[in-house]
Amino acid sequence: MRPPPGTVQAKETSPVSLELLPDLILTLLLLIMAWGALYAPQRADAMTLFIAFGIVVALIWARLDAPDLALAEAAIGAGLTGVLLMHAARELPGELHQTNRTATYWGALAFAVVASLMFLAHLLYDDSLMSAGLLDAETDMTPRLRTLADAAVPESGVEHPVTAVLLNFRAWDTLLELLVLLFALSGLRQLFRDGQSSENRATSQWPESLALMSAWARVLAPLLVVTGGYLLWRGSSEPGGAFQAGSLLAAAAVILRLTGLLPPLRWSSVLLRLSVVAGALFFLVVAAATAIWGDGWLVYPVAYNGLLIITIEAIATLSIAITLSLLVIGEREDLRT
Amino acid sequence: MTAIELYLTLGVAVFLLSLHGLMTLHDPIRRLIAVNLMGAGTFLVMVSLAKRTEVPDPVLHALVVTGLVVAISATAFALRLIIAANKDDATTSEDSAQR
Amino acid sequence: MNFALLSLATPLFSGLLLLLCDRALKTGTVAFWAIVSTVVSLAAAWLALQDVVDAGTSIMLNLGGWETGLAIRLRLSSLSALLLVFTALMHLLIGLYAGLSRQGIARDYWPLSCFLHGSLAALWLSADLFNLYITLELLGLTAVAMVALSGKKAYKPAANYLILSLAASLFYLLGVALLYGRYGELDVLLLAPRTEADVITRLALLLMTTGLMLKAALWPLHLWLPPAHTSAPTAVSALLSGLVVKGPLFILWVLWSEVAPPELAQQIGPVLAIAGMIALTAGGLSAMRSPYIKTVVAYSTVAQLGYALMALGLLLTWQLPQMHIALWLFVIAHGLAKASLFLAAGEMQSSLGTRRVEGLRGATQTVPVAMFAFAVAGGSLIGLPPSGGFLAKWVLLEPLLSQPGNWPWAIGVLLGTLVSAAYIFRVVALSFDRARINPPDINPDRVGHWLALLPALMVWGMALSGEWLIQLLAGGGV
Repeated sequence: MRPPPGTVQAKETSPVSLELLPDLILTLLLLIMAWGALYAPQRADAMTLFIAFGIVVALIWARLDAPDLALAEAAIGAGLTGVLLMHAARELPGELHQTNRTATYWGALAFAVVASLMFLAHLLYDDSLMSAGLLDAETDMTPRLRTLADAAVPESGVEHPVTAVLLNFRAWDTLLELLVLLFALSGLRQLFRDGQSSENRATSQWPESLALMSAWARVLAPLLVVTGGYLLWRGSSEPGGAFQAGSLLAAAAVILRLTGLLPPLRWSSVLLRLSVVAGALFFLVVAAATAIWGDGWLVYPVAYNGLLIITIEAIATLSIAITLSLLVIGEREDLRT
Repeated sequence: MTAIELYLTLGVAVFLLSLHGLMTLHDPIRRLIAVNLMGAGTFLVMVSLAKRTEVPDPVLHALVVTGLVVAISATAFALRLIIAANKDDATTSEDSAQR
Repeated sequence: MNFALLSLATPLFSGLLLLLCDRALKTGTVAFWAIVSTVVSLAAAWLALQDVVDAGTSIMLNLGGWETGLAIRLRLSSLSALLLVFTALMHLLIGLYAGLSRQGIARDYWPLSCFLHGSLAALWLSADLFNLYITLELLGLTAVAMVALSGKKAYKPAANYLILSLAASLFYLLGVALLYGRYGELDVLLLAPRTEADVITRLALLLMTTGLMLKAALWPLHLWLPPAHTSAPTAVSALLSGLVVKGPLFILWVLWSEVAPPELAQQIGPVLAIAGMIALTAGGLSAMRSPYIKTVVAYSTVAQLGYALMALGLLLTWQLPQMHIALWLFVIAHGLAKASLFLAAGEMQSSLGTRRVEGLRGATQTVPVAMFAFAVAGGSLIGLPPSGGFLAKWVLLEPLLSQPGNWPWAIGVLLGTLVSAAYIFRVVALSFDRARINPPDINPDRVGHWLALLPALMVWGMALSGEWLIQLLAGGGV
């Protein structure tokens, strides 16, 4: 029988048990990679270690029972960020400034180590962070956010709690987040205005690829699209959802662009602008419509809430995919012509 | 010590380490990597806090998904901005690297 | 509440639709519709203010219809309604300048300014800590995008601003995570009674405060501001100094006056107040020494935020919630005055063909209206009666002068006044030097100059409505 969702995990009796070994190894690995990503002498090495760091983080998410995050981290944190960094390495091969290892460097480092150990000590000897905030039976008996969320999931229109939180309980956050993507893209577009930056000097920024890579891309891209669609659909009842799906689709677009198979997406095409704007716009229209004709801002009608959520997610997936692709691989032809 | 406490401390340690990097590194791309590492540390803290219960806290997971998307958007913009800001200066260092 | 939502949604819709119809519209049409949406938003904000005044108390809204504790809540207080009006008004004044002045502005300014407006509105209304994090990110990204409008010369300061802004947001987020981990709540009003002065809470508050001070350019975390605000286009600098840095300040105030337990608030109060005094003097001294006009104005922002910091610090030290009146009067007066200063500086720069303060010799003869705008706005910054700046300073000084024990703080305020006077007079005095005039490159743009004067006139008009403003801020409740 599954224990109710709110129960606290039992504390270990001995200070360090054998079950902790894989976690200790991951911890050590992560610290070494973080160090390398920051201080490797060659910047290219630092970038590679950063990408590897992202993959280990995805492993830790899986270990901490966070499959939604593992999916998102692997695609976004390791995948898309990696492409961005590689592009940057190619554009700016030299180190722009040198770091000096002065006394403040070692002092600050010592501070970081000491502070972390002090934090650990606090955790071990003080209950407040580990168990407080979880218990309902406190002096005022008021249920916390977590308990209310768990209780409300059946009425939300989806079964997967994370999707319920993202698309229903805290839908306003998600709407604003779609705007974050859009604002970042708007900012990027400023860099390509006429004669402004040297980004528009070269005709092709992305290298020609091998025939093998092109063949592989032709197989991989459709697979990614199908997987993305599946993740989107699955998101209502299992880990998945708009962001994971969108980032996989963006990865597909990036692979196609890297192998020269993706034609320029032209900003002058109203279809492109529509797909970029659609996610946030539709969401905002839903919010306004529910406010004017319904029960309030972002109050989904109970009969349609599942359908509404999947529609919002589908349109958002499209917007997220296109916006992320443009953010990673968008060039002058895509963004300004 | 439980796994949760270990990961919480790891999150704080990565945060502090990358903060140290942000303050001492001068190359803008490295500083951006440092900021991303700070984000990873923060998310690690959040996901560990989520795992205090047997079934993880969906609210914190949702917050981290949001945070991840914000991080990639801002990083993409920042990297392109750094490239655009330094592109012309970089040609001189490229020449000196080739010698 | 519906009017507040209208005020929030209008600029967001406009921005999205302007992007959607990007190629189909002429630049003039784009500008026209952006300004129309600002006017609609202003009207809606005004009506929202009336609603709150009639209601006599803050109006809350649970987004999504979920119960309190689960839903993200929006709070329409008399202050947030006033800030909605202020934001719309600033966007209108600056938008009119950007659209009508001969200098003009890049076409992409219009959707970006709509987005900035929407982000600020979302910030003023939000009562949820994580939602505030997202609004901070929205604000930061649009601000950097707008700095980049200037072109290549602005990219380095913009990149630096963005990197620091991201780091600051993460400080804030880590603090929110710790607070949630400790108390299980994200809603500001539900968190407020629960907080205790323990280690985790202190750490969380410290992290959040550091992040917010960096974003609001509060001394000593202000170094990114002068390069960024100087290199941005004129209208954008006005928006940045007048509005964008005030958002994180708002969150800082909510954090310490509501969320934090009083014992901790009383401990941090003096620290903030002293930082404010240093900001006043250090920022003012840098403003006096800077050779470039816009840099003078940018350092003036750093200095003037010192007043806000002092008001906040003293509010917390003495636990006098009424001192928030001084804080917000400063914000509004400073916003209007700073807009005028930047617009005037931009006009003078383009007419006289110089970016240096030295180039303003004889400006009272060559560009009289713009120089007048600069002087009038500067007068409000110094705190000359009967300007808005004077009103704010008076509300701040009253409790300081009432007891002899508080006089050191009053001396700090007066010192700041002297320093402000010094850097304003430096520019104005130079402009009266008709012996060696710097001749204008082009004929002054009458429309631009008068539009630059408009905010300055409004800030002096603030004193006329001073009584009403004070009552509004005091009575309407937080």
